[in-house]
Amino acid sequence: MTENWPVADLDPVRRLRVLAAAVRFPVYVGEVVLPAPFEEVWADVSDLEHELPRHLSTVRSARVTRAEGDRLELLATGNFGQRARFDVVLRPGWCLMRSRFVLGAMAAVPEAAGTRFAALGGFRLPGARLTRPLLTMLGDRAMRSFAERPDTRG
Amino acid sequence: MAGSEEVDPALVRAAQRGDPMALGELMEILAPYVGRICGPIALQDGPDAAQEALILVLRGLRGLREPAALFGWVRVIAVREAVRVARRRVPISAMPVEEVSAPGDPELAVDITDTLARLTPEHRAVLVLRDIEGLDEVQAGRILAVPPGTVRSRLFRARLGFRKAWGS
Repeated sequence: MTENWPVADLDPVRRLRVLAAAVRFPVYVGEVVLPAPFEEVWADVSDLEHELPRHLSTVRSARVTRAEGDRLELLATGNFGQRARFDVVLRPGWCLMRSRFVLGAMAAVPEAAGTRFAALGGFRLPGARLTRPLLTMLGDRAMRSFAERPDTRG
Repeated sequence: MAGSEEVDPALVRAAQRGDPMALGELMEILAPYVGRICGPIALQDGPDAAQEALILVLRGLRGLREPAALFGWVRVIAVREAVRVARRRVPISAMPVEEVSAPGDPELAVDITDTLARLTPEHRAVLVLRDIEGLDEVQAGRILAVPPGTVRSRLFRARLGFRKAWGS
């Protein structure tokens, strides 16, 4: 009797909101609707080796060192040569990245003719509350970078 | 019962410690289950209800003492949250269950949604707990904080609405 009953879908952007509310340290969360199809947006942003240095001003380079299904290992190098190893889950519309000190996530879903894109970032550090102004600045800059890309202006 | 899936206790423990990857993985496991509960109760507000329910689940995870009790605990939160979210919406087409009209094709999910929409959230919650989750009246009453007799009468009225809608 119940096989045709409605099921509530928790799309990737909603999942990112849930994660942002559930983690125990402050995170930056930004959402923007990009005037480009989902497939195009996700093909771009999921190319982590190119896109992370392009949108995150603190990252100089990123290299995938291992890939197994939707699990990746990524080595990021910062502007001062500091390195961080990230565990990554990457699937269509969803990317979650965690290093020892940093959490990052991206999510996207189709919306009308465009794409709703959401990003999350935070520092997993003692006293992380003090980093909120820095988070806001870096997050706003990254979201502007995503929103202002020439190929997502439609 | 829909919520009898096994979850690795180590994953639950890691999520309880606040590991973001474990929280993400647990959310992937729980989202379909929460969606099956919130959908029929909160209808068009189902995604909002599922989102709010999962926030409560992941935030409150530290208070869960036994990982094996995870799905039962999630069920309580999801049902209550779905009813709460559904009650925020002013009913547009609500009518007494006796007046529910027959849909054109019983196979169409849209007809089921339409029939469910003519019941109150509390009646829909009883249907979900009895017909999807397979709970008895005492268990359902405990989740909804009402006596078993109230569950029985709500179930009677909800099923009556469905019978009239399907014309059987």
